[in-house]
Amino acid sequence: MFSLLVLVPFLILVAVNLSKKVAPNVACSLTALATLAQAGFVVSLPGTLLKTNNVIFTWLPDFKLAIDEFSIVVLAAIGIVAFVACCVARSTINDPGQRATFMNLLLVALIGMNTTVMLRDIFSIYLFVETIAIISFVLISIDRGRLALEGAFKYLMLSAFATILMLSSIALMLLFSPTLELSGLAEAMSVYPNPILIKLSIGLFLCGLFIKSGLFPFHWWLPDAYSAAHSAASVLLAGIITKVVGVYVLMRLSLSIFGESLHIQAMVMAVGALSIITGAVLAMTQKNFKRMLAYSSISQVGYIILATGVGTPFAFAAAAFHFFNHATFKSLLFVNAASVEKRLGTMDMREMGGLSNRMPATGITSLVGFLSTAGLPPFSGFWSKFMIVLALWAAGKYFYAAFALLASILTLGYMLILQRNVFFGKLKDGLGGVKEVGPGLVIPQLVLAAIIVLVGVCFPFVLNKFIFPVQSIFLK
Amino acid sequence: MQTNLLLLTVFIPILGSFFLPIAGRISKNFRNHLALAFVAASFLLSLIILPGVLAGKTIIFTKFLPLGFNFVLYADGLAVFMSLVSSLVSAIVVLYSFGYISHYDDQNEYYFMVVLFLGSMLGLVFSANLIFLYLFWEATAIVSWRLIGFFREKNHVLKADKAFLVTVFGALVMLLGFINLYQQTGSFDLLVIKDGLKMQAASSLAVALIMAGILSKSATLPFHTWLPDAGVAPSPVTALLHAAVLVKIGVYVYARLFVATLNVEQFWHTAIPLICGASALVSAGAALIETDLKRVIAYSTVSQIAFIFLGLSIGNIIGLAGGLLYILMHGLAKAGLFLCAGIIEQKTKVRDITRLGGLIQTMPLTAAAFILCAFSVMGIPPLGGFFSKYMVMAGAFNSGNLLIAFTFLVGAVMTILYLFRAFNLVFLGEPKTEPVKEGEPVMVFCVALLAFLSLAAGIFIYYPDKVVGTIVQQIALIK
Repeated sequence: MFSLLVLVPFLILVAVNLSKKVAPNVACSLTALATLAQAGFVVSLPGTLLKTNNVIFTWLPDFKLAIDEFSIVVLAAIGIVAFVACCVARSTINDPGQRATFMNLLLVALIGMNTTVMLRDIFSIYLFVETIAIISFVLISIDRGRLALEGAFKYLMLSAFATILMLSSIALMLLFSPTLELSGLAEAMSVYPNPILIKLSIGLFLCGLFIKSGLFPFHWWLPDAYSAAHSAASVLLAGIITKVVGVYVLMRLSLSIFGESLHIQAMVMAVGALSIITGAVLAMTQKNFKRMLAYSSISQVGYIILATGVGTPFAFAAAAFHFFNHATFKSLLFVNAASVEKRLGTMDMREMGGLSNRMPATGITSLVGFLSTAGLPPFSGFWSKFMIVLALWAAGKYFYAAFALLASILTLGYMLILQRNVFFGKLKDGLGGVKEVGPGLVIPQLVLAAIIVLVGVCFPFVLNKFIFPVQSIFLK
Repeated sequence: MQTNLLLLTVFIPILGSFFLPIAGRISKNFRNHLALAFVAASFLLSLIILPGVLAGKTIIFTKFLPLGFNFVLYADGLAVFMSLVSSLVSAIVVLYSFGYISHYDDQNEYYFMVVLFLGSMLGLVFSANLIFLYLFWEATAIVSWRLIGFFREKNHVLKADKAFLVTVFGALVMLLGFINLYQQTGSFDLLVIKDGLKMQAASSLAVALIMAGILSKSATLPFHTWLPDAGVAPSPVTALLHAAVLVKIGVYVYARLFVATLNVEQFWHTAIPLICGASALVSAGAALIETDLKRVIAYSTVSQIAFIFLGLSIGNIIGLAGGLLYILMHGLAKAGLFLCAGIIEQKTKVRDITRLGGLIQTMPLTAAAFILCAFSVMGIPPLGGFFSKYMVMAGAFNSGNLLIAFTFLVGAVMTILYLFRAFNLVFLGEPKTEPVKEGEPVMVFCVALLAFLSLAAGIFIYYPDKVVGTIVQQIALIK
């Protein structure tokens, strides 16, 4: 069954490219259906299926695809965000050729992400991360604007640097381990006498991942890339792609490889905390809607990384929960941005004001996204953030717990600036003719807002069914 | 049966509020009356559960949830008293809004927010789990933010943001305090926490952190500045949120946590009255020099809240009873003052009291209601405010700390000064504005009703006093 997650997008990709006549809209619809099916499928999985046999495919001794409780959460997020990106592409990319290109890229990215989530050896993970990175460069520069090319170029340069770091790290790993399969690697590390070599190899790989996730101090490529990219591309990039290639991989490695090392944990937590504060403070100074969201993304990813660094099962589950919530609320905010851009043709917040009056659905859903990002109850973001704080506290990291909690006020601060400038307030002169966007953008907004509200209100169900089981990975 | 009534009390306004925007599409009148019905239903239900609760039967509803996040609703005398006061004032304010808000845009949002506010308030009042208490606490903050910025002016939205940021910051610090309690007892459930900390005092770190939240929500020094700024909201909102109900959240949570549930170290019984004494004096001084009518009344609220804290924190029974009584009396009277200010503002379009005058000639009913409510806030017999202020002061003198007692005595004298000043400038003297007519009948009826209730609560002080006396006995008994 799980092979379908890779096969279906692949078949769609082949089918829509067989003939030039297939309209991009058909590709859109097929992909949207497939992604919805993916989200529905993984969410409806009974818990027992996972306990019996989680390896689903083996090729060489090292290369296997497996699935566990954490993969489920990530796969659900991928499905939802990819669906939303399809909808946004359909209503915002007008040129059919560009739309076809976008759909092709999205399908390849989808295959790449779904596979990455199921891979269990570090070299294949590296390969897929690089593949997705190449797709990202094209995605960012899809409309060939000067800023878009600049954003893509920055990402390309930093990414090349990350490649070098990750490849060197893999070379170092081969010095002490006969295999690159994660559990074998962990075993080899535990018996190898030279801890410096091990830490060096892990540290190099981590730095590569920090670049890919856009974490402090490698965060500066991300706002350029997100804000210059086309709306649909920025939903996809910010919502899920950088999260999978950076954050997911980091979390996966923390599970099996560096989870035990105190130094590495301390470093990861420090990077997370610094990203939280840097992202939030810089977000406050932004004048561009999407740039502000991009900095906010840095800050929110910081929370996930901070929790990953703790190394306890509970903290890991909290991080996985925030991963999912961040994917939904950040995608929602980017769809809001896409709607505003479609109507106003600009992302400069100084030219906006009082848009809630003219665009009620966008205004209200942006409130849901904002309150969830700021970690206010009863929205989903509150529960995951609060679990992170509890996990930090339970692990004795009192400073980080207080820091993570009080940093929410910064999130609230920049989100209020955004609301004040864009949605809440008197309608700016000259915007009287603005109308609400069409159903192509309203529906994804409503879907995401509904997910955020439902996850927040039905949190006991979500925790019991999806999040607490994630802790069981630590027993395996 | 009683449990169901309790659930209905909380969830009728919460769930009902979501129907109001839909109802507003059908008919304005229908929506308005529906809103009033939801609020009145909560009041009546609280009234129905009151006798049983006063007889000593507490109502508990528990739904077990993971991580110690159990959803517990717990109705004892204190909670039902608070829910009665909140829903009574809310009902009068909603009725007043029929007249006031009909002139403005976004009415659907207005009624939705006001009724949702009451629901969140009642949820907070009955929650016996700190997480849900926090949840409802923030819900009231979100509603308050939307309502302060209701007129959407740039300046208003900025002030709404300020109120939001200050109160949420306080709440986050408070949440840290809750986590601290969680560490000590392993639960967020107040009933479990109470058992766990029966013999010892709660850690002073937790108390200090939680106090930050309480002081910010109840607009007490040093977190008080958001309240006068929040006066840019529509007047019924100011009356409901920033005078009668929302600012009592901090006071209520203080009573719930540090009087009825936990033991605190002895020095808090001196430290908190001292902070509040400073708050009472500073804000009374500000009220004396302010020229904006709503800001004068808002500073007066800051000052009067300090008296409530004094009563609750001074550590003797008469003070505690006085403090609780004060919540009722101040809620009625201060809501009346703000609603009067709303009538004046809407009719004259002026809020600067130095540019007003002689309104008693054209607005006799409003003037009479204003002065009655002002008398109650000042503490002049036989109005209700006299009894509560007397009992709080008696508590202060009984505690033996004369510094505190005299500080508040000065505060009480200043209350009389600034309220007379406001009344004098607005209603007496020569008219300085265009002659205006009395406000709309429904609005005048509401202020007259509040003035009448303030008076009646004083004349028939036996009944509120009996209720409060029973609550205080319950609290003393379980500790």
